[in-house]
Amino acid sequence: MLYAAQRRRCAVYTRPLARLIEQLQRLPGIGPKSAQRLALYLLNRPEAEIQTLAQALLDAKQQVGHCQVCYHLSAEPVCEVCSNPNRDQQTICVVADSRDLIAIERTREYRGRYHVLGGVISPMDGIGPESLTIQPLVQRVHREKTHEVILAIGPSIEGETTTLYLSQLLKPFTKVTRIAFGLPVGGELEYADEVTLAKALEGRREVE
Amino acid sequence: MVGFFSIAPVAVVYLQRLHLRQFRNYAEQWVEFVAPKTILVGDNAQGKSNLLEAVELLATLRSHRTSRDGDLVRSAQDCAQITGWIDRAAGPLELSLSLRRVGRRTLVRSGETLRRQLDGLGSLNAVEFSSLDLDLVRGGPEQRRRWLDGLVMQLEPIYAHLLRQYERVLRQRNALLRDWAKQRRQGQALSDRAAELAIWDAQLAATGTRLIRRRARAIARLAPLASRWHGAISGRVETLTLTYAPNVAIAPDVWQLPALEEARAIEATLLAQIRDQAEIEQYQGTSLVGPHRDEVTLAVDDAPAKQYGSQGQQRTLVLALKLAELCAIEAVVGEPPLLLLDDVLAELDLARQNQLLGAIADRFQTIVTTTHLGAFDARWLDSAQVLTVRSGEIVA
Ligand SMILES: [Zn+2]
Repeated sequence: MLYAAQRRRCAVYTRPLARLIEQLQRLPGIGPKSAQRLALYLLNRPEAEIQTLAQALLDAKQQVGHCQVCYHLSAEPVCEVCSNPNRDQQTICVVADSRDLIAIERTREYRGRYHVLGGVISPMDGIGPESLTIQPLVQRVHREKTHEVILAIGPSIEGETTTLYLSQLLKPFTKVTRIAFGLPVGGELEYADEVTLAKALEGRREVE
Repeated sequence: MVGFFSIAPVAVVYLQRLHLRQFRNYAEQWVEFVAPKTILVGDNAQGKSNLLEAVELLATLRSHRTSRDGDLVRSAQDCAQITGWIDRAAGPLELSLSLRRVGRRTLVRSGETLRRQLDGLGSLNAVEFSSLDLDLVRGGPEQRRRWLDGLVMQLEPIYAHLLRQYERVLRQRNALLRDWAKQRRQGQALSDRAAELAIWDAQLAATGTRLIRRRARAIARLAPLASRWHGAISGRVETLTLTYAPNVAIAPDVWQLPALEEARAIEATLLAQIRDQAEIEQYQGTSLVGPHRDEVTLAVDDAPAKQYGSQGQQRTLVLALKLAELCAIEAVVGEPPLLLLDDVLAELDLARQNQLLGAIADRFQTIVTTTHLGAFDARWLDSAQVLTVRSGEIVA
């Protein structure tokens, strides 16, 4: 079906335009209709603007790498958070990816530093602890004599497994805490499993 | 709860109206349910069972006939829709399920699209009884587990979520074990994954315990009801015993403990047995311990039901299970579920038919399919709404 649709489009669009639509369609969340709309929009923009866009794409790809310390996306060898002397050097907040780091930064509640794992443990996807930045984290905790590691990994099965794995690994060396998530589904206490409920109670925070 | 054999005076029509669009062989069909009993009559393959399946999907979000949504969409169409208007004590609601040939389902309850579809469970309860249910007696343990899971979901809708979590842990753990076994076979240097596996063990035990406790709870409710119904139908000559047989051996006194301690004890037992089997599991590359290998045993006079009796006697047994299910759901939910009888009435002899019809009386909204009306008791026919189904349409 897809093949037929592609052929049909090739017949309608001139080759370079078809290629542009094809590329846009590979982006996450972009379907054939959006890809077509974007392509036609871009074609109508001045050439200078297109140059700027293309250059921005290339620059980002070529210049943005990972912070040597925390593995957050960064154009510098060490990211802005890690190089900021005003941030607490003794606390590390561990997140699955850079998006989570950005979400926590937006709250402006946290003044420590981060560590970006690059994913969560998932054997089905061939992701074991060795494919994440766990070894560098352990070394960092040793080197920096970290006081507290806060685990802020989402509550999916894989996130939970990663949290448990890290806390076992790090507990001998430092204080390990985790952020509390709400009760899983439904939210009805009466239906919540005692185990789940007990865990939610353990993870409670004082109300300010 | 309504008394065991008593007959509730007022019958309520919980499902009042149904609309099908591009579902199975229906292009567009409205159905108004005006009596507690509805008989769908028609030749085979006209769409009677499809209509029951639509009600089953609204109630349980699954079909016992298929697990692929594409099968439910009318040929040459992209999307099917089932909408039900339901009137219950909590107030009227409209539930609409859209099924797609390609892509995800959507479930809308009274105008609100449910982000978590499992939250829609419990809007409508139903028990289906079809000829396929004989597999409960004859089939393997997975048939009975599936049946039990379906029941627990109706009793405690959060179970659907807990089951999904367990299945996810199981798949992840199996992937890890498989990987490990493969490395071993290929003689590769084994990476040390013991620490990782230990976490999956703990996850399996934690999520598995939630299933075990709820399954045990459901069977504890169901077992006495099932043997009473079986006694009533078979004339009290034989005793049906329904037992939950978890794959991990749990000491009987564990079930007497307070909830939290019970959960801890089961989790510890599960974990200990996982450790016991660790070497075999790592060799075979799959999880051998846990509720995915549970069994529900059915015994009549202490003999396994599989080897027991004629087809008629096995039908009696399934009928007793279904009636027990109805009563258990009614007791827990507080309102009687719908009863969907797919072509089974004709397969029961007259005495059992009368037992069933007597038990239903006016207590449960019942939808029955049949190929001919001759099999029905006259009093039943008088009080029922009869709809004739012909090639995906209700013609009269
Ligand atoms: Zn950094």
